[in-house]
Amino acid sequence: MDQPNTSPSQRRWVFVMEPERCIDCEACMISCSVENEAPLGKHRNWIDKIEKGAYPLLSTTFLPENCQHCSNPPCERVCPTGATYRREDGLVLIDYDKCIGCKYCMMACPYDARFVNEEKKAVDKCTFCVHRLDAGLPPACVETCIGHARHYGDINDPNSDVSKLLARYPSYRLYEEAGTEPAIYYIYSNRVIE
Amino acid sequence: MEPTEYHWNALIVFYLFTAGVSAGAFFVSGLATYLGGERYKRISRIGAMIAPWPVMLGLASLIFDLTKPLEFWWLFLTLQYTSPMSIGAWLLTLFTVVSLIYFVLWIPRPWRDLLRVPQQRRDWRTPKAWKPLDQARINTARRVVAAIGAPIAIGVGMYTGVLLGAVPARPLWNTPIVAQLFLVSAMSTGAAAVLLIAAVLRPKGGHDSLHEERRFLVSLDVMLILVEIFIVLPFFLHQALSTWSSSSSLRILLGGSYTVLFWFGFILLGLLIPLAIEGFELFPVVWREQAVKYSRLWAGLAATLVLVGGLVLRYVIVFAGQVSHFLPLYTR
Repeated sequence: MDQPNTSPSQRRWVFVMEPERCIDCEACMISCSVENEAPLGKHRNWIDKIEKGAYPLLSTTFLPENCQHCSNPPCERVCPTGATYRREDGLVLIDYDKCIGCKYCMMACPYDARFVNEEKKAVDKCTFCVHRLDAGLPPACVETCIGHARHYGDINDPNSDVSKLLARYPSYRLYEEAGTEPAIYYIYSNRVIE
Repeated sequence: MEPTEYHWNALIVFYLFTAGVSAGAFFVSGLATYLGGERYKRISRIGAMIAPWPVMLGLASLIFDLTKPLEFWWLFLTLQYTSPMSIGAWLLTLFTVVSLIYFVLWIPRPWRDLLRVPQQRRDWRTPKAWKPLDQARINTARRVVAAIGAPIAIGVGMYTGVLLGAVPARPLWNTPIVAQLFLVSAMSTGAAAVLLIAAVLRPKGGHDSLHEERRFLVSLDVMLILVEIFIVLPFFLHQALSTWSSSSSLRILLGGSYTVLFWFGFILLGLLIPLAIEGFELFPVVWREQAVKYSRLWAGLAATLVLVGGLVLRYVIVFAGQVSHFLPLYTR
């Protein structure tokens, strides 16, 4: 995939999701759990199912979700030890040694993206597969997605996949009213009900 | 969205409650010292004797709620000024220290004679003499520590609400009224704790001083309960007339799973019944200028109910708030 040749502080990693392409196969959840060794029963990413309409005019939209890596992360703001921090390329990460498990960040996250990892005795969440990203590989969920519903890239690079998608299609983000400036963009569904 | 779980449990409720009781007891004790001096001496002493202990128990329960209790010291390696919990951890530690100093200053005789100050030596051969503090110095020290501690106590009372109010993700918490309610409730439960101990202990001294102190505590408590009622009312109005997410978050208190506990446990048992008991006692004092009737049973009952109500309030707000959530407006 595309890796921009800019300095980290100029980069802004984002996800672009195409809910129209998601079929709720949950392969992203499996590959994430395998890649990041999430404890049994806990997931760093998940599929939200949005049901609209009433019989017989029904539709279901699948929204792939994970940590939104917000530009203004409430979890980072409330962390009392500074364990949650924001890297200069915009990734919101956790220093698991510094995390004492007060769970305040879980209260603050409007997306409920965080969970307690009993094995690490710390709070855990999506890292944007930072270890793969730094090695030039795509996140595990993006690589495995069979419908190409998940895209990732640098939104500051006009030639990246995500910039091209966002220039072409209208998009929205979740709970923007919370002032979090999330980094997951969703392409509008074309499906019309009425 | 993952199904909602409760990540903050009863230990956090207990922590918020005990911090409030301590802050309130300290504040009431300081207030009695400044307003009454000798007249309210028993109240001041009881408040000072109570203040340090609940908050220490609460801090212990906060630490046990961590996934890594033994690594709590990370909190004290840094001050994250954007995090209410970090500010609160420091504030509570400061408050504990101040209230312990205050506690020592109020220790009754004969233990108080253990507090000593070194005298100046006559020459290098004579050892330093340590004399007990005289009463005038102790009185000054009590007033100074009470004055320093009062804003810290208010800070602790407010912090317990700000901790919850500072997260926009939970619409039930994210209103300035939670901090106000918790502050007034902290003062009220602190006064109730003092009243309870004052009622349980066999009163010494003449009846006049008892009436005086009783009148002070009960009128303070009545005032605080009235303020609480007038905070709860706008809370519901404000939430109901706010955005969709905020007004829906009220449903849990108006027909949802915490309705009975909130209205029966907090509003009725914790506010209205103690208000009725205390108002009934205070009525002849205010309108007919009679002496307050000293009934230890009623005083103890009203105080216990206020304390239970304070605990129920924090339980309901902490648990119901975790269920409240932004509504999914993204059904596009």
